[in-house]
Amino acid sequence: MIEVSGLRKRYGQTMALDGMSFTVTPGRVTGFVGPNGAGKSTTMRVILGLDAADGGHALVGGRPYRSLRSPLRHLGALLDAAALHPGRTARHHLLWLAHSQGLGVRRVDEVIELVGLAPVARRRAGGFSLGMRQRLGIAAALLGDPPALMLDEPVNGLDPEGVVWIRGLLRSLAAEGRAVLVSSHLMSELQDTADHLVVVGRGRVVADTGVAELIEAASGGRVRLRTAEPAAAMDALARAGAVVAATGAGTVTVSGLVSERVVAVLGGSGVPFSEVAAHRATLEEAYMELTGDSVEFRAGLRASGSSRSSGSSGSWGDGR
Amino acid sequence: MSAAGFGRALRAEWTKLRSVRAWMAGLAAGALVTVLLGLLSAAGSHTSCGKDGVEVACPAPPVGPEGQAVSDRFYLVHRALRGDGAITVRVTSMTGRIRRPDSTPGVRNEVSGLTPWAKAGVIVKESTRQGSAYAAVMVTAEHGVRMQHDYVHDVAGRPGRVSAGSPRWLRLTRSGDRLTGYESADGRQWSRVGAVELPGLPGTVRIGLFAASPGDVTVTRGDLGGAAVAARFAQATATFDHVGLDGAVAGQSDDWRGDDLGVDLEADGTPHHPGGFTRSGDTFTVTGVGDIGPGTEGRTVESTLSGLPAGLIVLVVVAVVSVTSEYRRGLIRTSLAAVPGRGRLLAAKAAVIGAATFAAGLAAAAVSVVAGTRLLRGNGDVVLPVSTATEARVVVGTAALVAASAVLALALGALLRRGAAAVTAALAVTVLPYLLATASVLPLDAARWLLRLTPAAGFAVEQSVPAYAHVLGHYAPQAGYFPLPPWAGLAVTCGYAALALGLATLRLRRGDA
Amino acid sequence: MTRPVPGTGTRLREVHAEWTKLRTAPGTLWTVLALVAVTVATSAAASALVSCPSSGCGHDAVRIGLAGVQAGQAVTAVAAVLAITGEYGTGMIRATFTAMPRRGAVLAAKAVVVAGLTLASGTVAVLGSLLAARLVLPHSGFTPEHGFPPLSLADGPTLRAAAGSVLYLALIALFSLGVATAVRDSAAAAGVVLGLLYALAAVPFVMVPDPDWQLLLWRISPMNAGLAVQSTANLSALPLTPWQGVAVLTAWTAASLLLAALLLRRRDA
Repeated sequence: MIEVSGLRKRYGQTMALDGMSFTVTPGRVTGFVGPNGAGKSTTMRVILGLDAADGGHALVGGRPYRSLRSPLRHLGALLDAAALHPGRTARHHLLWLAHSQGLGVRRVDEVIELVGLAPVARRRAGGFSLGMRQRLGIAAALLGDPPALMLDEPVNGLDPEGVVWIRGLLRSLAAEGRAVLVSSHLMSELQDTADHLVVVGRGRVVADTGVAELIEAASGGRVRLRTAEPAAAMDALARAGAVVAATGAGTVTVSGLVSERVVAVLGGSGVPFSEVAAHRATLEEAYMELTGDSVEFRAGLRASGSSRSSGSSGSWGDGR
Repeated sequence: MSAAGFGRALRAEWTKLRSVRAWMAGLAAGALVTVLLGLLSAAGSHTSCGKDGVEVACPAPPVGPEGQAVSDRFYLVHRALRGDGAITVRVTSMTGRIRRPDSTPGVRNEVSGLTPWAKAGVIVKESTRQGSAYAAVMVTAEHGVRMQHDYVHDVAGRPGRVSAGSPRWLRLTRSGDRLTGYESADGRQWSRVGAVELPGLPGTVRIGLFAASPGDVTVTRGDLGGAAVAARFAQATATFDHVGLDGAVAGQSDDWRGDDLGVDLEADGTPHHPGGFTRSGDTFTVTGVGDIGPGTEGRTVESTLSGLPAGLIVLVVVAVVSVTSEYRRGLIRTSLAAVPGRGRLLAAKAAVIGAATFAAGLAAAAVSVVAGTRLLRGNGDVVLPVSTATEARVVVGTAALVAASAVLALALGALLRRGAAAVTAALAVTVLPYLLATASVLPLDAARWLLRLTPAAGFAVEQSVPAYAHVLGHYAPQAGYFPLPPWAGLAVTCGYAALALGLATLRLRRGDA
Repeated sequence: MTRPVPGTGTRLREVHAEWTKLRTAPGTLWTVLALVAVTVATSAAASALVSCPSSGCGHDAVRIGLAGVQAGQAVTAVAAVLAITGEYGTGMIRATFTAMPRRGAVLAAKAVVVAGLTLASGTVAVLGSLLAARLVLPHSGFTPEHGFPPLSLADGPTLRAAAGSVLYLALIALFSLGVATAVRDSAAAAGVVLGLLYALAAVPFVMVPDPDWQLLLWRISPMNAGLAVQSTANLSALPLTPWQGVAVLTAWTAASLLLAALLLRRRDA
């Protein structure tokens, strides 16, 4: 379990962390998302004791990271996969890490096997592709068999096969009861992996919610209708009290009516239709709605705090 | 390579350099370290002379007609010559005494003998004022017959020592500003040694005989490095006969006057190590102490540049890092994408770092020399005067040395691509040989070869006072004398910089970035 | 989830990890070879260059025979600089501090392994130098007739000079490690270390004519003072006794490591 509470950090004029608070609970994958400069990396560095926060605290298993005697057995982290000595072999890189935790060479070979680096383990890491380095970094994170893991952009540079592999790995690590924090800017990646999301902007948490709830909120109970006669359909539905919008050639989005009512209204009016389906927003859409006004360089808008925007359509800027 | 393209590359590199605050600070720090250490050493240097138990300022050395500090101490037996004329003598013997290091402390240890440049002969001198113009033909202890004038000029005649069995005839003629020296073994067959012009020589001059002997120089190597040079008393005594004067010589034939030029007086007014002469008929015996030649006692203007090695280390680091940091961060790929010509990119980098370090070096050298010499003179130190042109050469040459060393360091950075390795290599070939040659217990020959063959040869450009072949001295790198002439030394450094830059270009062209 | 894994005791983990790092870095073997080669070759060259034409030539044969340490220390210094700046250059320092959050212990562990390796390779280099000097010096006039018996470790001062030279190299390595940790950039650190060693050593002779200043600067120069331990002749003429000189260098080393530890604790990695 990782607990972050009220972290503050200032770099000169820039407020990097401004009261960042969240908890990563065991047994699920927590996605850590936000635009560039939102404070994701700084938070991770503070959790790892690499940077000192000006205020607040970060605890790993209830203790500050720097007080841990064998930290890699409490929290495994992957920050920058390129941060290796290029002249050292992959196995030797893991070996010194293992020795720093009082672990033996056997565990090194285990994690090498686990991440699929066995064929290149005795080659210099300097010649590795980005994907191989990423696997080496994950091996280092798994070395201490920790109850918590923290991975910064783990799919970066992985080929499709690697992406599938890491999804499965993260899911199985969570299934084993570990707390897993994964940062990413690829929402689509988290959609299939994360159970929970911590969305950040401007150094603080914008949303802390389950993935399903977030999508539900963004979907806003809308129904997507495919029809050959959109004008007639919109007319009939509007008369039945729905809010309708043409969202493409032969596509109408309906809100205010559940899909069964839509089918009944259309049937009663004799409007032909080919498909009626509940609209499911993508995580990407939900994310854009949440962070749209906390992108740092967007002019003229103030941060909207941690208010959850409602997903109602056509409601630009109603979050104050 | 188009001129406009190179101009753009230059501008890009200059923007790169000036936009990293640490590098600009490094350039300033390099200059500052040079100036501060130089001024510190100048401020810490005090010289005073004891007189009657009181510390007084040392007298400034006389200055010769060409502006150099000179030594003008000898025994002169002379008469006045109006207009043109000549003097002819025969030298039949030359002997002397040298003081050796005391073998029993406190007991003077003097032996017979001559120092190599002990000299005696005939002279025409503007006046008896120290530092006035002169020309002389002389016999020396070990360097045969010479004709010398105005302290720094020396022409060789026939070799060989003088003795009763093998006397030497000498003749010096004046014709307007022109003085001509002759020698002969028998007084009949004369050969010309040389002819010189002494512009502005007055109508009436002193003409006569002289003897002088520079001190005996011994060099002791310090246990910790460096060397101590000691000059000890030596005097020469020469016997002349067949003295003949032509021209309008004032007075009677026995109207010779003896003058101990430049003699130091003791507290009670008696001369210290006096010279003298005796005359018996046509035979003159003249004994003299001292030398007529350039003066080398005192601080040189370049001694104020002693902070340069430390400042250079800082500038070398800046030059190296300006290129190796590009490799470490992968920025070199961006640079090459913007300026694909490898040679052009490196040339632009070299030009920018060269110009920037030249500017820093110029400012540092100018301030050090100008303020440092003022400090030294204020502290009572004798600073050997040099011409403005020489001083400018020292300052500009030092800046050029700094720039060439920085370009060499930059090229090594591009060759080795590792910061620490390149800094070590650059210091090992520039600053280290200089320090080893000037401040260690390295044998003299090894020190000289280091300053001929390594890029540290460029430090020769600092030397403001040349080594004079006709003055015995400790002309070692430890004493500030370089084996190569100033510009030749600088050319060696520039050659190395160009070579390294060429190799770096080759590596950048051949290899992957 | 955390289960006990057999391994090293907790106390020496940092040292174990740093030793693994050092021995698996590809440059380490070359550094050791370079230290030995440069030191022995320079000592042999110095022994061949210096001549002792007569008895009482005033030279210190042991010091000449160990002159290579003056060149070899550059290798040691640069290797120690790279031991820490290499990690900053690649960003691996973050992996190090993630695995071992006690930064002071990491610095101490690095100091232990760097000093240990330097002591071992320095011993080889110094013994090689003495052997080379023992063979070469008699040809340069350092013969028993001129008052120079063959160099031997059975001679007390010679043993002190040899052991002191090994210690000197180790102290230089630690000094460089401290400076490099404070500076973090390899090139700048190499410049600072080599400048403090060589330029400061030459300063008394090149620039300062005042004898009192010369003496003071000689005494505080880490290289001049530290190498006093090599002297076996004219000891009374030395501004410091051999062990006082070692103490001066130790003070430099302690100061640099202290500064490094302080900065390490304060700064973000």
